[in-house]
Amino acid sequence: MSSHEERPEAPDGFVALPAPTAWPLVLAFGLLLIFLGVVTSAAISLLGLVLAVSGGIGWFGEVLPQERHELISMEAHEFAPKSTYRAVSRIHIDAQHRAHLPVTTPSVTAGLKGGVAGGIAMIVPATLYGLIAFHSFWYAVNLLGGAGVADWTNPTMAQITHFRLSALVTAAVIHAALSLLVGLLYGATLPMLPRHPILLGGLFAPLLWTGVLHASLSLINPFLDQKIHWVWFVVSQIAFGMVAGWVVAKQAHIRTQQYLPFAARVGLETPGLIAERHQEGLDQRTESGEEGR
Amino acid sequence: MADSTLPVDRPMELPGDLPGEQPGFTWLETLHTWVTTVDHKKLGLMYIGYALIFLLVAGVEALLMRVQLMVANNHFLSPEVYNRLFTMHGTTMVFLVGMPFIIGFANYLVPLMIGARDMALPRLNAFSFWMTALGGFFLYYSFLGAVGLQGAGSAPDTTWWGYAPLTERAFSRGHTMDYWALALVMSGIGTIGAAVNVIATVFCMRCKGMTLFRMPLLVWLNLTTAGLILVTISPLTAAQIMLLIDRYLGGHFFDSQAGGSPVLWFHFFWIFGHPEVYVLVLPAFAIANEVIPTFSRKAIFGYPAMVAASAGIAFISLGVWAHHMFTVGMSAPGNAFFVLSTGLVGVPTGIKIFNWIATMWGGKIRFTVSMMFAVAFVAQFLLAGLTGIMLSMAPWNWQLHDTYFVVAHFHYVLVGAIVFCIFSGLYYWFPKMTGKLLSERLGKWHFWLFVLGFHMTFDFMHIPGLLGMPRWIYTYQPGFGWEKWNILVGVGAFVQGIAILLFSFNMVRSYLKGAEAGPDPWDAWTLEWATSSPPPPYNFAIEPVVASRRPLWDQKHPEDPDWRYE
Ligand SMILES: [Cu+2]
Repeated sequence: MSSHEERPEAPDGFVALPAPTAWPLVLAFGLLLIFLGVVTSAAISLLGLVLAVSGGIGWFGEVLPQERHELISMEAHEFAPKSTYRAVSRIHIDAQHRAHLPVTTPSVTAGLKGGVAGGIAMIVPATLYGLIAFHSFWYAVNLLGGAGVADWTNPTMAQITHFRLSALVTAAVIHAALSLLVGLLYGATLPMLPRHPILLGGLFAPLLWTGVLHASLSLINPFLDQKIHWVWFVVSQIAFGMVAGWVVAKQAHIRTQQYLPFAARVGLETPGLIAERHQEGLDQRTESGEEGR
Repeated sequence: MADSTLPVDRPMELPGDLPGEQPGFTWLETLHTWVTTVDHKKLGLMYIGYALIFLLVAGVEALLMRVQLMVANNHFLSPEVYNRLFTMHGTTMVFLVGMPFIIGFANYLVPLMIGARDMALPRLNAFSFWMTALGGFFLYYSFLGAVGLQGAGSAPDTTWWGYAPLTERAFSRGHTMDYWALALVMSGIGTIGAAVNVIATVFCMRCKGMTLFRMPLLVWLNLTTAGLILVTISPLTAAQIMLLIDRYLGGHFFDSQAGGSPVLWFHFFWIFGHPEVYVLVLPAFAIANEVIPTFSRKAIFGYPAMVAASAGIAFISLGVWAHHMFTVGMSAPGNAFFVLSTGLVGVPTGIKIFNWIATMWGGKIRFTVSMMFAVAFVAQFLLAGLTGIMLSMAPWNWQLHDTYFVVAHFHYVLVGAIVFCIFSGLYYWFPKMTGKLLSERLGKWHFWLFVLGFHMTFDFMHIPGLLGMPRWIYTYQPGFGWEKWNILVGVGAFVQGIAILLFSFNMVRSYLKGAEAGPDPWDAWTLEWATSSPPPPYNFAIEPVVASRRPLWDQKHPEDPDWRYE
């Protein structure tokens, strides 16, 4: 170990550095020959062993009882680093900068409430379609739930228009889960699009996912794809989006904690940290001016 | 071990000055100073020079393969030679190019950046270098010394990750696999020595005021890498020794016919192999972390987040290895675990990409060649990460496993990220290492040719992969739609080769008659620029004292020092 504090005093104008030595190389070469002997002949390994042992002994001699040093003459030169730039400019970022948006956000329960309301609203046009087109209250339920009923392959129209418990349970689970998840998603994303929440959440988003479904449903569930009436489908999706978006937007918003320092967010009492972050995070410096070269 | 309270009882040699730098030294004496040196700068340069030589060797191997694949039904190379070439290309690039490069940079820069006079363990440092170097020569000696089936010289030919059970004695006769396994054990010993040294240096040798959180990020990342090396080289060495037991002592670890399991080898190899990617890429990040702030004229954005992200990458990388093995037939929960853990890697790497962009944002960017390589690295690493996420999805992986899509993906990481960062680092620190600036004009030619060649080769290589072209095939039938892509890939490889030749020429010419660099050519802020170029053997005549992460900024701007803000 040759940390500089432990080095012997060197005369003025000299510095003591670890002396060059070939013993590590001898040890490495010995190990090489040991390995080479594994592939070729034991005699080479033996030679390698001799070299490795003498390398090790030589290495010990370098550091015991005293580490061997060599003296190197040293000139203490003054070095004053200078920048080629003339000025330091600052990038100012005010506290309202977009990095701090959203300032407020709906709570988690607001998203859930929106999902529940939207899910209920969606049932109305879907059921209306079943009643008008097929005089059946269960048509839409069976279409959605039929996907999860294993023994129901290629059902007849009579089967689809009549009540079936397993289809109802499946449909309820799918519908409830999707409604709640999309509601949560609305709660999380609507504050990022603060201008027209109803337009974006109620119209644009449902059109977007209906388009994706329209393009892919023939691959995912061809049977459902055949039976769907896309105009009514879009209407029920928009009903969901409008109601869910409206409910979420109506709920009281809470302030986000992004502007608080990490320590405050996790509840640590560290008074010193709060002022510092504003200097470090918001104030970046850069050099400007002509290059001197 | 030396204790300053004891009297110095052995005379110190008084050579007066540094040998080798005095005029009139014969080349033999100069050689002697290099062979016996324990100086971290000389050893660092030897690592880097060694890596450059093998970069050319492995590059030629790659070009030979690309010539062979340019047209269908080619007979330029025999299948046996082709197998040896891709095995040696991979093994060389990882163990004899990538590792020596990153260890060389760490060796040269870590002591300078923390204001130390040498590594903590200078003799171990020399030993580590010689183990790595001799390991490489040992591997290449197999071309002469390993008697293959044909009785002629031969070389390892079972892919760079030693495809078990192909490596067993029954399938790999002769001694090629023995050379391969023993060479990797040797260079592994060297690598572990280097890692121990970096850790000891960082913890014991920092100058006054250099707290852990004032260290340059390059030092932090090399510390992280060193820790990762200690964890990952061990399973590799263990696996190689198990393989040798199989081959020499009649063991059956990987022999499925006798109750062993090739899958065991896959696990051992990949729990080394995946973190190895990060062992190579973290020091490459480290270079970008120094280059990007200097040429953006801004401090690095989010220093603590960068440190945390590096540690996060190192940690997560230890839990993703089986994403290389989705096709061996793991259980569904096993697949799911490795899909999800691999996805997690995206989080800390994403943090890094955002922080690099934020560092450049609003800065006064200077597009030197070094900076151009660093910026290209950020963009290319992002793309490499995206195909990585695609491949981490088990179903996608089942389709594309062992196709050229995978080859294109990992070359995007290894070349697009790591090699680009190494070039960036060479342009940045060559003036420090030699005292001469590299020519920027030749450098720009090098950059643009290399970018062109890189994208021709590795962008287009994804497509034959998607069309089902398997890796490791030495030739193919026409009519699969692979031909035109392979021609483009091959031409791109030659463009890269020309760029690298240009770079070699630039290095030699600039070394002989380049412009004087002076101590601080880039107007940078870390301690290596506070001493002459090249630095004297003792690095700093007066031991530095630092008060912030950018000590030279503080000196250059005494009216507005960093320590006020940190
Ligand atoms: Cu991996």
